[in-house]
Amino acid sequence: MSRTRAARAPHANRVNRAPRPTSGRIVANTLAVLFCLVWIFPVYWMVNTAFKPPYDVTTPTPQFLPRHFTLTNFKAAITQSHFLGDLRNSLIVVSGTLVVAIALGIFAAAALSRFRFRGRRAILVVILAVQMLPSAALLIPMFLVFNKMGLLDHYLGLVLAYVAAVLPFSIWVMRGFFLALPYELEEAAMVDGASTANILFRILFPLVAPGVIATSIFAFVYAWNDYLIAYTFMKDQSMYTLPVWLASFSTPATGTNYGGQMAASVLFSLPVVIFFLAIQRNLVAGLSSGAVKG
Amino acid sequence: MSSPTATTVAVGEPVAAAAPPRRPRRQRGGRGVKRSGLAPLLLLSPAGLVIIALTIVPIGYLIWMSFTDAGQRMLFTGEYDVVGLQQYRDILTDPSFWKSFARTVGFTAAMVGGSVLLGMGVAQLIGKVGRVMRLALTFVLICAWAMPNVASSMVWGWLFQPGYGVGNWLLTQTHLFGDVTDTNWADRPGLAFVCIWMLIVWQAVPFVALTLHAAQSQVDPAYYEAARMDGASEWRVYWTITVHFLRPTLLLVTILSIIWDFNVFNQIWLISKGGPDGATSTLGVYAYRNAFVSFHFGVGSAIAVVTTLLLLGLTAFYVRSLVRTGEEL
Repeated sequence: MSRTRAARAPHANRVNRAPRPTSGRIVANTLAVLFCLVWIFPVYWMVNTAFKPPYDVTTPTPQFLPRHFTLTNFKAAITQSHFLGDLRNSLIVVSGTLVVAIALGIFAAAALSRFRFRGRRAILVVILAVQMLPSAALLIPMFLVFNKMGLLDHYLGLVLAYVAAVLPFSIWVMRGFFLALPYELEEAAMVDGASTANILFRILFPLVAPGVIATSIFAFVYAWNDYLIAYTFMKDQSMYTLPVWLASFSTPATGTNYGGQMAASVLFSLPVVIFFLAIQRNLVAGLSSGAVKG
Repeated sequence: MSSPTATTVAVGEPVAAAAPPRRPRRQRGGRGVKRSGLAPLLLLSPAGLVIIALTIVPIGYLIWMSFTDAGQRMLFTGEYDVVGLQQYRDILTDPSFWKSFARTVGFTAAMVGGSVLLGMGVAQLIGKVGRVMRLALTFVLICAWAMPNVASSMVWGWLFQPGYGVGNWLLTQTHLFGDVTDTNWADRPGLAFVCIWMLIVWQAVPFVALTLHAAQSQVDPAYYEAARMDGASEWRVYWTITVHFLRPTLLLVTILSIIWDFNVFNQIWLISKGGPDGATSTLGVYAYRNAFVSFHFGVGSAIAVVTTLLLLGLTAFYVRSLVRTGEEL
């Protein structure tokens, strides 16, 4: 991180000193304010609705500014049947995916960054290419096989599907972190007679910890957000994960409770937004050469 | 699987290729321990086996299934018949396949065009405004980017809800389209698409803008100073300097956006289910409906294979430009 900051600082100063027409500045600032208002509005509206009492939610003229504050909607969302169970399902599947993907990925990333061997390029190309597959391409065969093996409506089936999706980019992102470590570290250790295993476990893995954290966040976001696979594999309502729960929130017999639905959306989005803001620097500066798409 | 939430894109690397390197670039990628032998094989094999078992084998199975009539019968008895190229012949002569294909291409073009152009504009804005405004822009972009697409689809449904949707209300206030308070967007072919388009572009602009901004901020400011001293207009500076240096990053972002938008599923499914009457049914929705709604797995597989082949060229192009822009493989 400090590397990024250092690389940017001189440039930022120079731009500020450069003569610049003030009218251009004003236009740019106006456009930026307009853009911010438009782009944040859906998020604002979600939060705003979530804290409104029901009689303020459905009004002929929308209430743009909050007048009454309530937590009823959140209570409704949380106490809704299945919320806790589905949250538990999500946490189990997400953590299973994380553990497997990181454990397998870190070794592969080490191999693909610190060793030179035949077929390395081919493997990297495959890793990049499998991420571009259309969703149905893996969904159909996995569904058929898992159906036969009794893995539908089962945590393991979902974890396997998520590992398949997450492992390639986990390897790629962690590899980026390995590449950033100076080679001299290993040289010194080798001169001292350290074994390959020692170099990996004592030197490289501890240093690549930030990469493991970043990768875990990317993988978490994928597994936490996934709707399609869970929706297809988990047919028993007690096995739903949170995205499926959220999407089915809108179909009670009494008509949609929009306040409750928005509160549920807030609860579901909150961890992801926090994680994104936390790794903002990685996202923006491309420190990890890994990016996330919603 | 589902349009990859996270995927790799070289954000830093193309930039390094564009800007004159400040320190000598060292040989990267596999330079480390040069002892070959068993170590890399041992390290790779667990992940390798998992990728083979969970990706390569399923793709093989998918191709096999596309030559069969696998259907509901298979789910219960495990039986199916091999029908050769029948499924391919059927879908390629099915007008709804071609309609879905044309729709997918059109949707993709509209979404990619919208998000890349807007993203370029916003990237420019980030570079032009002051510190506070820049922080505000970054915060807004990250919020839009981070919203899980199931949640944002729910929010969209509420924004454009017939009766109380704030979007409908605002449009009615403009008096441009008459009273649209009770318009159900998902029920009208054109409007359903517009609604989905807005959602996709809303979530895609942050990725494009922040990536381009990161690349842009690495361009040596001396170029700009020189151009301004020579009296070049802002517009001219943008086209000849910024766009020139952004070209590799722009290319990558565009290819990735095409692949992602081609595979968009969740937002379409959650807003319109591909309706009304298939008006928003893209290839992904078409394949999903065939496989998981009418349980024609054979047909679904054939559609998935065709879609994969269509994307293969783009994927190859993506990998190649990644290599070209300086990402070491």
